Amino acid sequence: MSTGRRDFLKTSTAAVTAAGLGGCERGDRSVSEPRTPRRLHRELLRAIGDAVLPGAIGADGREKAIVAFEVWLQEFTPNAELVHPYGGWEVAYGPEDPSPRWAEQLDDLERLARQRSMASFGELSRDDRRTLIADAIEDAGPGFPTPAEAQHVAVALMAHYFRSTEATNQVYGVAINKLQCRVITTAGEKPPALGG
Amino acid sequence: MTTIESDICIIGSGITGILAAERLSELADADIVMVEAGSRSTPFSNRPEQRRRFIAYGENPWKDDHLDDQGGYGLMYRSMVVGGCAMHWDGACPRFSPEDFRQRSMYGVGTDWPISYDDVEPYYQDFEERIGVAGEQGPPEYDPRSRPYPLPPLPLSYNLIQLREWGANAGIPFWTQPWAKATEPYRGRAGCQRCDTCHVCPTGAKYTPDVTLDRLIDDGGLRLISGTLVRRLEVDDASTHITRAVAADRHAPDESVEFRATTFILAGGYAWSPHLLLLSSSSQFPNGLANSSGLVGKYMTGHPYMSAQIELPLELYPGIFSTSSLLSRMHARPGPLDRYVRHDLRIWNTTVERQARFRDATGVLQFGDDVMDDWRARTKQATARVRGYIDIIPDRDSTLGLDASARNQWGDPLPRIEFRDAPESVALRDHTHETMRTIFEHMARAGNGRVLSTFRSTTMEHPGGGCRMGEDPETSVTDSFGRTHDHDNLFVIGAPTLVSGGCANGTPTFCALSLRSAEEIARAFPSR
Repeated sequence: MSTGRRDFLKTSTAAVTAAGLGGCERGDRSVSEPRTPRRLHRELLRAIGDAVLPGAIGADGREKAIVAFEVWLQEFTPNAELVHPYGGWEVAYGPEDPSPRWAEQLDDLERLARQRSMASFGELSRDDRRTLIADAIEDAGPGFPTPAEAQHVAVALMAHYFRSTEATNQVYGVAINKLQCRVITTAGEKPPALGG
Repeated sequence: MTTIESDICIIGSGITGILAAERLSELADADIVMVEAGSRSTPFSNRPEQRRRFIAYGENPWKDDHLDDQGGYGLMYRSMVVGGCAMHWDGACPRFSPEDFRQRSMYGVGTDWPISYDDVEPYYQDFEERIGVAGEQGPPEYDPRSRPYPLPPLPLSYNLIQLREWGANAGIPFWTQPWAKATEPYRGRAGCQRCDTCHVCPTGAKYTPDVTLDRLIDDGGLRLISGTLVRRLEVDDASTHITRAVAADRHAPDESVEFRATTFILAGGYAWSPHLLLLSSSSQFPNGLANSSGLVGKYMTGHPYMSAQIELPLELYPGIFSTSSLLSRMHARPGPLDRYVRHDLRIWNTTVERQARFRDATGVLQFGDDVMDDWRARTKQATARVRGYIDIIPDRDSTLGLDASARNQWGDPLPRIEFRDAPESVALRDHTHETMRTIFEHMARAGNGRVLSTFRSTTMEHPGGGCRMGEDPETSVTDSFGRTHDHDNLFVIGAPTLVSGGCANGTPTFCALSLRSAEEIARAFPSR
């Protein structure tokens, strides 16, 4: 698999989000107003987030990641024309609205939890929640898809976080701040430590 | 039918047409009309928001940048829009090498161009100054220039500083790739803020042709007629002069528009310029216009590439400035005893093998901190991508033809492109790939690393040809200025006139040739 411009286009499409965008951002948003409200069950989504997102980022970090995912879903445009990959002449379109499927999957997890443990999904231990989720996504591939391509809401939430600027900074322990606009004169410097 | 008259009619509003128009407006006292089938795409004010959605959702930031019924088999990139492909280019601006123009006389392969690098060099410089190219003088023996770049180079990122040292340890000199990105404010454009989405630049630091076009329109330098598809050119019965271009108004499909002019310039790029010549066949010209040689749509060219992902024991930080890269031309000049293997080399830092993954190396699903730990362990190494564009000799039957099975809404057949290497390049293919694999392995060893994977492209990048230039009307379509041998008031500019595709991005060469054409075309008009 080659990289460079093609893969940059692919990988950057899933890198998140408004939080990672710098001061140069401006312009109207009229073209991307959400067509219909899309909301997933708030508590169930957080119960998933608590199970699949890193403990190291703390409850605040997980809440921030979940809110960013909710905003992302709210602003998603179904069947949008996708960026043309260099090297091909066909025009591609994105998936339809995943939120109905994801909402059903949340309901399924809740139903399974009650069937197996006589408890709400959110009341299960983290390990038990992970077991239920793992059963639901056993066909998942080795890497994270783009969130919109994720077949399961748990995978979408993880993909949204682990492709983000924040996750990259966390794992490297420095403020790389990918996709953030900033002066070019500092490009040659080693990124500063987080919080430094 | 609506009639629009001018002195010069330019068909196509891409970067070559726009820069030619700018030069013509400086030199000639002439009324210039530019015809474009597409529409305006995302205005500058909305590019930051489209960038945001491109990052978050992968959406095409360039709205209405193509026409649904104007595609074609084998095309590289769907684009039919005011400003052309360069509205969403990345802005890489390497020149061709002197060797590209002298393949036959230097190496005994291919065909010499009718002009040399020295003939084109002033126009490369003119191009770079018009659009603001930021670059670094490479070793003069590999990077001959008459004057410095107009803008200082993009600074090397922390990652590229280390990768350049790696290249030097491998005995390969690398320097910064030249880019059409303003490293400081330039002619009304802001300086680069390394936003890393050059495909859609939110600051305007990257050059896009609409900058020049809007200035020309505001200054009265040309009239733009967009949404109008030229379907054929017509010839005066009594001569070989082109008298008019007949077009359809896309917003009123039953309405025809004719463009009458003294001079016609085809600036539709490698696909649509030869396509229009073939579409314009008649009883007088049954094989299409400008085609007495039978070479319109022949010798389609470009370059494939081979790349490697190389793991290195370096501490790098993917994302600092991912779109910048290093360039070497060391392998663009075969030695006298070498077989004809020519390619450039580029280096990027990549995230291959350095991304979060759902399953660990044994295939077990991971959650939460386990994902982070697995990912963090793999950041102790870095991955560099090395890629070389390979010079190939185009075959005569590397062809753009009319596809009778695919037609637009007016019933016109669409283009079909099938690239083919000349026998000498086919014979060298395995040797070329083995040579490049050896270079990749050598580079990996020089950095105490290893080659993770290699890849060979199956498509041509930066296509050109289809109206190759030459001195002999029997073996070429145009002269070195793009004037068709068969019609003295019809010019083809830019990519179609290439004799061969070189091993570097094509736009600087397309544009330098167009600026040279513009000077020649201007001679027929009163001076400004």
